[in-house]
Amino acid sequence: MIRRKLAILLTAAIIMLPVLTSCSSSQTSAPAETKTETEEPQAAEPATTDKILKIASSDNPATLDPQKTSEYYREPLNIYDRLVEAVTVDGKPELVPGLAESWEVSQDGLVYTFHLAKDVKFHNGEVFTADDVLFTIDRMMNPNTAAMNTDFFDMIKGATEVFEGKAEHVEGVKAVDDNTVEITLEEPFAPFIANIATPGCSILNREATEAAGDQFGIDTSATVGTGPFKVDSWSVNEEVVLVANKDYFKGAPQIDGYTVKIIPDAETQRMMFESGELDVFDTSEARTQVPYFKSNPDYKDNIISAPEAGLYFYAFNNSMEPYSNLKVRQALQMAVDRQTILDTMYDGEGMVLNTFLPESVLGHNSDAKEIEYNPEKAKELLAEAGYPNGFEMEIIQVSDSATTLEMNEVVQSMMSQIGVNVKITQVDEATYYAMRKAGEIPVYRSSWWADYNDPDNFYYTFFSEKNAVVRSTCYNNPDVFAGLNEARTMVDPDARLKYYQEMDNIIINEDAAILPMFQMNKIFVVSDRVKEFHIAWNGWSDMSFYDVVIEN
Amino acid sequence: MSECTETVTEIEEYDIESEIAENDNIFYKIKNMIRTNKVAAISGLLIIFIIIVAIFAPVFAPHDPYAIDLLSRLKGPSAEHLLGTDELGRDVLSRIIYGSRVSLFVGLVPTLLSMIIGTVLGLISGYFGGKIDFVIMRLADVVLAFPSLLLAMVIMYTLGASTFNLFIALTIINWAGTARVVRSQAMSLKEKEFIEAAKSIGVKDSVIMFKHLLPNCLPSLIVLFTTNIPGAILSEANLSFLGVGAQPPEASWGLMVNNGKKFLFTNPIVALAPGIAILIIVLTFNFLGDGLRDAIDPYMKE
Amino acid sequence: MAKYFFKRILIAVPVLIGVAFITFMMLNVVPGDPITVMMREHVKPDVIENLRKTMHLDDPAIIRFLRFLGDALRGNFGISYKLSRPVTDLIVQAFPVTIKLASTAAIISWIIGIPIGIISAIRQSTIIDQMFMGFALFGVSMPVFLIGLLGQYTFSYKLGWLPVSGFESWKQLVMPALVLGWNSAGTIARLTRSNLLEAMKNDYIRTARAKGLKETGVVVGHALKNSLLPVITIMAIQIASLLSGSVITESIFGIPGIGRLSVDAIQGRDMPLLQGSVVFATALIIFGNICADMLYSLVDPRIRVE
Repeated sequence: MIRRKLAILLTAAIIMLPVLTSCSSSQTSAPAETKTETEEPQAAEPATTDKILKIASSDNPATLDPQKTSEYYREPLNIYDRLVEAVTVDGKPELVPGLAESWEVSQDGLVYTFHLAKDVKFHNGEVFTADDVLFTIDRMMNPNTAAMNTDFFDMIKGATEVFEGKAEHVEGVKAVDDNTVEITLEEPFAPFIANIATPGCSILNREATEAAGDQFGIDTSATVGTGPFKVDSWSVNEEVVLVANKDYFKGAPQIDGYTVKIIPDAETQRMMFESGELDVFDTSEARTQVPYFKSNPDYKDNIISAPEAGLYFYAFNNSMEPYSNLKVRQALQMAVDRQTILDTMYDGEGMVLNTFLPESVLGHNSDAKEIEYNPEKAKELLAEAGYPNGFEMEIIQVSDSATTLEMNEVVQSMMSQIGVNVKITQVDEATYYAMRKAGEIPVYRSSWWADYNDPDNFYYTFFSEKNAVVRSTCYNNPDVFAGLNEARTMVDPDARLKYYQEMDNIIINEDAAILPMFQMNKIFVVSDRVKEFHIAWNGWSDMSFYDVVIEN
Repeated sequence: MSECTETVTEIEEYDIESEIAENDNIFYKIKNMIRTNKVAAISGLLIIFIIIVAIFAPVFAPHDPYAIDLLSRLKGPSAEHLLGTDELGRDVLSRIIYGSRVSLFVGLVPTLLSMIIGTVLGLISGYFGGKIDFVIMRLADVVLAFPSLLLAMVIMYTLGASTFNLFIALTIINWAGTARVVRSQAMSLKEKEFIEAAKSIGVKDSVIMFKHLLPNCLPSLIVLFTTNIPGAILSEANLSFLGVGAQPPEASWGLMVNNGKKFLFTNPIVALAPGIAILIIVLTFNFLGDGLRDAIDPYMKE
Repeated sequence: MAKYFFKRILIAVPVLIGVAFITFMMLNVVPGDPITVMMREHVKPDVIENLRKTMHLDDPAIIRFLRFLGDALRGNFGISYKLSRPVTDLIVQAFPVTIKLASTAAIISWIIGIPIGIISAIRQSTIIDQMFMGFALFGVSMPVFLIGLLGQYTFSYKLGWLPVSGFESWKQLVMPALVLGWNSAGTIARLTRSNLLEAMKNDYIRTARAKGLKETGVVVGHALKNSLLPVITIMAIQIASLLSGSVITESIFGIPGIGRLSVDAIQGRDMPLLQGSVVFATALIIFGNICADMLYSLVDPRIRVE
C-alpha cells in the first residue's frame, strides 16, 4: 500500500518537474511574449477602425519587378501604371488612358504617338517623363535584365536587335519631348494598344531602377512606381504590405493600404475569412466552397462574381498517333459531357464554349457550331478511324493540382464509355513543362486567361507556327499558320475579328484540334465592410484595389 | 539501440548448436506476450483482419472504388453508401477497403526490403570492419542525417510519383537504421568464442555471417520490423498528402484525406474516414511492436 | 575526448558534402529546368534560352555542383530561383521560426512523455501502463496532417479560441507545437520507460534494494537519476524528427519556417534554395547528434566514447 502511495506521490512530483523547467525556460523569452500579447487583440479580431484590406495569396510573389515575372501581377498592377489601362466599364472591357492621356496611330498602323500625363510623380519623388518610357522598353529588351516579358515589346522596331545584344537602345522608341513618346513598330500589330496595357508593360523609373540593380522588385524601399499603392514591407512566406500613395495622380485611393497574407492552403484561407482574419476570399482554388457561401444567408449578399476571360480545354497532340487522325479527335470531342461536368462539379458557374474564345474577349462568336455530346457517334467515328476497340490514352498533368486531377478523372470515366482507356500520369512541374515545350505531351488539360483583350492572345499562343509545338498541340495547318500571321497586321478591326472567327471554325470544328470545355465565373466573397470591389476585366485574381472602399 | 547489446549478453551462453533453441525461445516469448499483453494481442488480431480485408478487397467492398457517378457526389452516409460518397460520387467505404492494400503494401514491402539491405550491409560492416565498414557507415550517416521526409520527397521528385517509386524511396530512407543495429550486434558477436572457433576451422565468411551471426540478430530484427512498419505507413500518408506519393485513381488513404479536406466543412466524413483508417492501422502496428519489444527484449522482464 | 569530438566534426564535413551532392545530382537527372517552372504557362523559347545563359544552367552538372560547393564554403548558397533573393538570407529568416516551433514542441513532448514513461515503468504490465503508453502511442500514430486539420477546424474555426494561421503571437504557436509535440511524446515515453526498467534491474539497484532501501528511494535515488540522463540527451536527437515533422506542420499552419521553405524549393525545382535548406537541416541534425553524445559522456563518465 505504502509503496503504491509513494509511487503516485513521486509521479506527481515528476510531472511537476518538466512543468517547472518549462516555466523557467519560457521566462527567458518573456519580453517577446508580453509584447506580442499586447498586439494580440488586433491580430485575433480585426479592429473595426482600420482601412487596410486584408487578402490572402497561396504563393509568394517571385518578385515585384513586372518585367521578371510572367504570373505575379497583383502587386505590379497596384504599384505601377501603364501607358494605357485595361478596365471594366459597365461590365465591358475597355482601354482607358493611363500614363498616356491620349494617343494617335498612323494610317499604316506603324507609328504610335503617346501624349503623356504631366506632373506625375514616382514614389521616390522623381517626375515621370518620356525618358522613363524609353528606359522601361530598353531595360525589358536588354538580355542582361533577364526579363520574362520581352514578347510584349518585341514587335517594336529594333527591339530584337537589343535582345540579341546588337544594340543598346530600341530604335523604334523616341522621346519627342518630355511628354511625348513615339513608338514605331517593325510591321503593323493590331493588338498593340491592348498589349501595352498588360501589367508586364508597367512603366518604371530610370533613376530608381538603375540604382536598385538586382534588388529592384526585391528590396521594398527600392521598388518604386507611379501607382496608387507603395510597397511597405515583404517577408517571405508571411506577408506583403502595401500602403496607399496619397499623392497618386488620379487621386489617393480610398483605403489606407492592403496586406497580402501568404497562405498556401485554400481551406485555411477560408477558415481565416470566416473568422474575420481576411476581408476577401478568392474561391479560384476552392471552387467546392462556392455552394456553401451561395446558400449561407450571412454571405450570399457578399458574393461578387463575373465571367472570366479564360477557358479550360483539353489539348490533343495533333501530330502524335492516334490523335493525328481527324476522326479520333472528333470522337474525343464528342465523348465529353461538358455541361454535366460544369453543372455538377462547378455548380453551373460558367458557360460551355464551342469556340476557343471566352465571351468577353473581342471576336467571341456566340453562334459557333455546337460540339455535341454523343458517345454513340464517337464510337462509330473511332471504328471508322480504325480503333473499333478504342485505345490507350495518356493524359499528363502536374502532380499537385487537385482541380486538374478531378476533371481528368471525370474525363477518364467518360472516355471509358467510348472504349478509350485513359491513363492519368502525374509528373512534377518541371517535367511537365519540359515535355510540353518539346511537344511530347499526348493530351493535357489546361486553361488560358487573356493577357490582353484580343483574339491574337489566344490563337497565336496555341495554333501559330511559332507556338504549336511548344504548346504540345502540334497543330499543323499551313492555312491557319499564314492566316494568324496575317491577322496580326490587319488594320480594319471588323474584318480582322471576322477573319479570326473563320479561323476558329477551322481549328475547333473542321480540324477538331482541341476540345474547348467551358469558361467559369470568377467568384469572390468579401467581408461586410468591403465595398466597390470590382473584378478585373479578365477575371484574374491579380487585380487593382484602387477602387475598393472600406466602410467600418 | 540498447536492446541489441542486451541480447548479445544473453546470447553468450548459447553455442552454435543452440540457435534453434533460441528461435523456439522467441516463439515462446511471443506466445507469452499474447497471454499477458491483451492490447498487443488484440492489435495482432486486428492486423490479421486488415490483411484479410486487403487480400479479399473485391469481396468486402460493396461498390467499385473507381466508379465515378457525378450525379451522386458528396452524399452523406446511407444504407447504400455506409460512409457516403466523395467528390466524384465514388463510394468512400469501398475506397477505404481498397486503400488498405496500398497502406499494407507500403508498410510491408519497403520495410522488408530495407531490413534485408540493412541486415546484409550491417553484417558485412560489422563482421569485416575496416575500410568497408567505414564506407558503409558514412553512407548510413548521410542517409540518417537527412530529414527523412525531405529525402523521400527529393527521391519522389526525381523518380516521379508512383507507388513503385514509393517503395524505393522508403527503402532508401530506412535501411541505414537497421544497418547500424545489425552492425553493432555483429561487432560484439564476432569476438565470441564460437565465432572465433568457426573461423579457425576455416568456415567461410559468408557461412559465418548468415548461419551464425544472423540468427542471433533475429530477435531484434523482428522487433525492428514491427516498429518500422507504422513509420513507413505514415511516410506514405504524408507523401501522398503532399501530392508526391501514391497516384490516383489509386485509393490511397493519404491521398483521400488530401482530396477530402476541401469538404471538411460540409462532408467531414470524406476526409475523416480515411484519416481514422490510417490512425487505426498505425496504432495497431505500434501496439504490436511495443508488445513484441517488451516480450522479446530480455531485460524488460525477469 | 576532445580529440574524439574534433574527429566527429571533421567527419561531418564529407557527410554534408555527400548530402549536398546527392540532392544536387538527383534533381539534375530529371528533364526540365527551373525556368520552365517559373514561367509556367508562358513558354517563350527565346526568353528561356536567355535566362538559362544568365543562370549558367547550360554548364555541366558537375561544374555547377563544384561552383555551388565553392560558394557554399564561403557561406554563399546562391540566389533562390523562385524568390530571387540570397538563400542564406531566406534561411536566416526562417530558422528562428522553426527553432521556436521545434523547441516548444520538444518541451511539450517532455511534459507529456517523461511522466508517462515513469508511470508506465513503475506500473509495468498493469492496465495503467497500457493506458498511458496507449495515449503516448496515439500521438505517434496520428498522422500530423490529420491532427493539424482537426485542431484547426475545432479550435480555430468552430470555437474561435485560436487564430487559424500565421506565426505572430503565442496563440498561433499553441496548436502547431502541440501537434508536433504530442507526435514525438510517444518516443520520449517509450525511451523513459525502457531506460527506467533497465536501470531498475541493474546490480547496484539490486544492491540498494538488498540493503533494505525502500522502493521509492530506490527509484528516486538511483534508477531515475540514471535513466533520465539519457532521455534528456534525446532532445538533441529529436531535432531530426522535429525537422521532418515541421515540414508538414508548417505547410498546414502557414508557418514561415525551414520546413515550408524546403517543400516550396522541391516543388519549384529551386535548386539553390533546396541545397541550402537541406545542407542546413542536415548540419543541424549532425550538430544535434554530436551534442547529444557530448552531453551523454559528460553526465555519465562511465560511457566510453568509441
